[in-house]
Amino acid sequence: MTALLTTQSPIKPIALLTIEQLSITLQEKVVLSTLDLSLDEGDILGLVGASGCGKTTLLNAIAGFSKPTKGKVIIDGHLLSSNGLSGGEYSVPAEQRQVGMIFQDYALFPHLTVKENIAFGLGKLGRAEQLEQIGHLLTLLKLNEYRDSYIHQLSGGQQQRVAIARALAPKPKLLLLDEPFSNIDARLRNELMVEIRQLLKQFKMTAIFVTHNKDEVFTFADKMAVMAQGKLLQLDAPNIVCQQPNSYQVADFLQLGSWLPCQVNSANVHSLLGDFDIANSGDKQTGLAYLLVKPSKLQLNSLVDKQNIANAQVEYISVTEQGYHYYLSSLDGLAKDKSLAFSKLSLYSDIALSFKQKVAVSIKPHDFLFFNKNN
Amino acid sequence: MIALYNSRSWKLSSYIIALVLIVPVLVMLVGGVSASTQLYAHLWQTVLPSYLENTLLLAFWVVLLALFFGVFSAAIITQTNIVFKQQLRWLLLLPLAMPAYLVAYLYTDLFDYAGPVQRALRAWFGWQSPTDYWFFDIRTLPGAALMLALVLFPYIYMLTRGAFEQQDQNLIRASRLLGLTAKQSFFKVALPLARPAIAVSASLVLMETLADFATVQYFSVNTLTTAIYDTWLGYGDLGAANALASILMLLVLFVVLAEQRSRAGLRHQSARPNLTRELIQLSFGQQFIASVFCWALVILGFLLPITLLIIMAVQYSDVAQLSVLLSTGINSLKVSVFAATIAVIIALSLGLYQRLHNDKFRQIPQLISGFGYAVPGTVLAMAMLSTLGPLDHWLNGVVEFIGFTAPGLILSGSLFAVVFALVVRFSAIANGTIASGIKQIPRSLDYAPASLGVNLIGSLTKVHLPILTPAILVAWLLVFVEAMKELPAVLLLRPFNFETLSSQIYQLISDEMLEQGALGAILIVLFGLLPIVLLNNSKEKV
Repeated sequence: MTALLTTQSPIKPIALLTIEQLSITLQEKVVLSTLDLSLDEGDILGLVGASGCGKTTLLNAIAGFSKPTKGKVIIDGHLLSSNGLSGGEYSVPAEQRQVGMIFQDYALFPHLTVKENIAFGLGKLGRAEQLEQIGHLLTLLKLNEYRDSYIHQLSGGQQQRVAIARALAPKPKLLLLDEPFSNIDARLRNELMVEIRQLLKQFKMTAIFVTHNKDEVFTFADKMAVMAQGKLLQLDAPNIVCQQPNSYQVADFLQLGSWLPCQVNSANVHSLLGDFDIANSGDKQTGLAYLLVKPSKLQLNSLVDKQNIANAQVEYISVTEQGYHYYLSSLDGLAKDKSLAFSKLSLYSDIALSFKQKVAVSIKPHDFLFFNKNN
Repeated sequence: MIALYNSRSWKLSSYIIALVLIVPVLVMLVGGVSASTQLYAHLWQTVLPSYLENTLLLAFWVVLLALFFGVFSAAIITQTNIVFKQQLRWLLLLPLAMPAYLVAYLYTDLFDYAGPVQRALRAWFGWQSPTDYWFFDIRTLPGAALMLALVLFPYIYMLTRGAFEQQDQNLIRASRLLGLTAKQSFFKVALPLARPAIAVSASLVLMETLADFATVQYFSVNTLTTAIYDTWLGYGDLGAANALASILMLLVLFVVLAEQRSRAGLRHQSARPNLTRELIQLSFGQQFIASVFCWALVILGFLLPITLLIIMAVQYSDVAQLSVLLSTGINSLKVSVFAATIAVIIALSLGLYQRLHNDKFRQIPQLISGFGYAVPGTVLAMAMLSTLGPLDHWLNGVVEFIGFTAPGLILSGSLFAVVFALVVRFSAIANGTIASGIKQIPRSLDYAPASLGVNLIGSLTKVHLPILTPAILVAWLLVFVEAMKELPAVLLLRPFNFETLSSQIYQLISDEMLEQGALGAILIVLFGLLPIVLLNNSKEKV
């Protein structure tokens, strides 16, 4: 199987990280499957995917903690791991890769002070250079007053600063961040993300950061990669991924809208919310397909009359900042074809509806996005 | 935290239990401290300095050797790719089941002038007398230290191995990514992080060494424990024995304090122990040395002694031995069943009190009742004698005054004293097991019965005790086994002509006739294996 990359551009010469056909099998379970990825110098990549999709294994493969069953990892022109493709097994040990990592729980050394933690990776430098580098980082991360504290004396946010300072100190070529914000209080999180992003940009650091929260990607990353079941589904700028998801899984995982089953014919489309024209659309696949319906593209006609025949009913009501949030299901009577029935169409509106109320809904014309469930 | 119940009789009985457990040692200490300065001066001018010196030297050597054995074996098992790792992992625990005095006896038998090793050497080289060659003498202080270290090092191995295995592997990974090799990461991260566990286990070894009686007695190394025994049984001088016991007790208290301090450091562990760790790859030579080291510990600490015992048993067992074994075994069983049952009941009562009662200081009874484990058996025996003896006299006086015949030494001269001492000594084990069982019951289960209209008794019998059943069984078994093995307290306190398995074996060892009791010795070792199997299994589950 080939990876579904939308940016299938040839590998650029300035790519800092190149991963070729990486496969990893752990205990007879395929965790990564022929994955290709390349990342330019200075880019921050946000890697999202459900838990167990292989995100952490990918980080481990780059860091040197998981050996590829097949494939290559290249950083800055240096081959770090390879197996299978034209040659035998080759692996540079983790300590020689110049890859930094920030762990979910920071993995700070509890028996060392803040200063000693930051100095840990600077053993090869002279004493004076070490002190200068440590001083620089302490100032930059506002840790000066905690230089002699032990880790357990610091707050979560401070601990994370230490983790960042420690990882940056040996000047790695690539920084990996494994869910770095999941332990931070929600209210502080955004502020901290912006601050760290600025810091990484200042260092011109190339970074990959793993999360299961797509909103963190928008705040923190330049590029977004969506993974599922050991494969990279899409890699692009975050806004492009959201506007043009390349598959059902990507759109579904990112919860970009709800799904309306449709019967696609050569010229028009039939759905329980009415028929519409797709003559202009490029995609001419016919048969059963799912239309991605963003809530903003739904038109509610609460007044049910002869023009506006009821075609859905309210199944769930909640109150949100954007007005009422409803889930609609199709009406039983209308569905001659059971495969077109829907049960959880998301709709936001300022109009108050009651439970089980029948409504007429239509879809505003837009660039329709159809997907097959199993592509 | 809110505690639920407010019963005054429960409170009173909890404090009384705790008090009863601690009073004898207090009485002894008071007696010891208030003994005449003349007595101390006399002791100081005669035997005390050499006893103290021997005790401290022995402790020093045992701890040093046990650290060497325990830390290295734990490091090899957890950090390297040594062959037969899965087998060595549990084999290295087995020496813990072997009483040091048995090993001491067996190796003396093996390496003595008249033993098979020296006989074979003489025959081989044609030597005629001891002047022809040099051979190490095992019946010395360093010899005793080696014997003790061989069977005590698993404490250090077990706790240090646990510390290494519980360590967050991300810490090691972080170290690797910061440029350190696997070996450097071990010395700069893993080993410093294991320091508290190493310190705690070393103080356990220290306590066991201070408490040892039979090994040093057999090797004629005069330490405080042997001095206490000789002073009391040899000269009948309760005052001097008490004074010596008090000094030993103070030494132990220092160790306990040190142990408590190191325990405070046992915090930061256990986040992601299951991540695969990258093992240090041993070269052929290193593999060989590491294997020899680990297998030597297993063989010398367990396999060789148990084989020697089995050979003895096969050669010398007969029906008369079996009947002696049966009668002493029944005595041991009697004492141990009493001790285990009482200790478990006390532990349950104090543990649940700690959990459920409203008393602001509800943890205190449990805390007090646990200290006995640190008290060496000889000291405890002196404490019983100095408390129960006067109590017996008073009782006899009262009974005679009422007009009956005096009953004799019904407390200090009966099984009561033995069982009492065992309960004091091993309550801590029952406490620890049951307390950790109680900790695993969710708080909400304390409140649920009351919210359903069920009272304290109903809550205990229908909720807490059924949930605690496994912990209760394990606690009972652990105390039972320890009581079976306990020697010095039993030796000093047992009623006239009352022999238990361990006291019988000790007598035979003193008379150089262990062959007569080989079966019993094997039985003691087998009992000793039970808690190891239990401990190992519960460790695997964590």
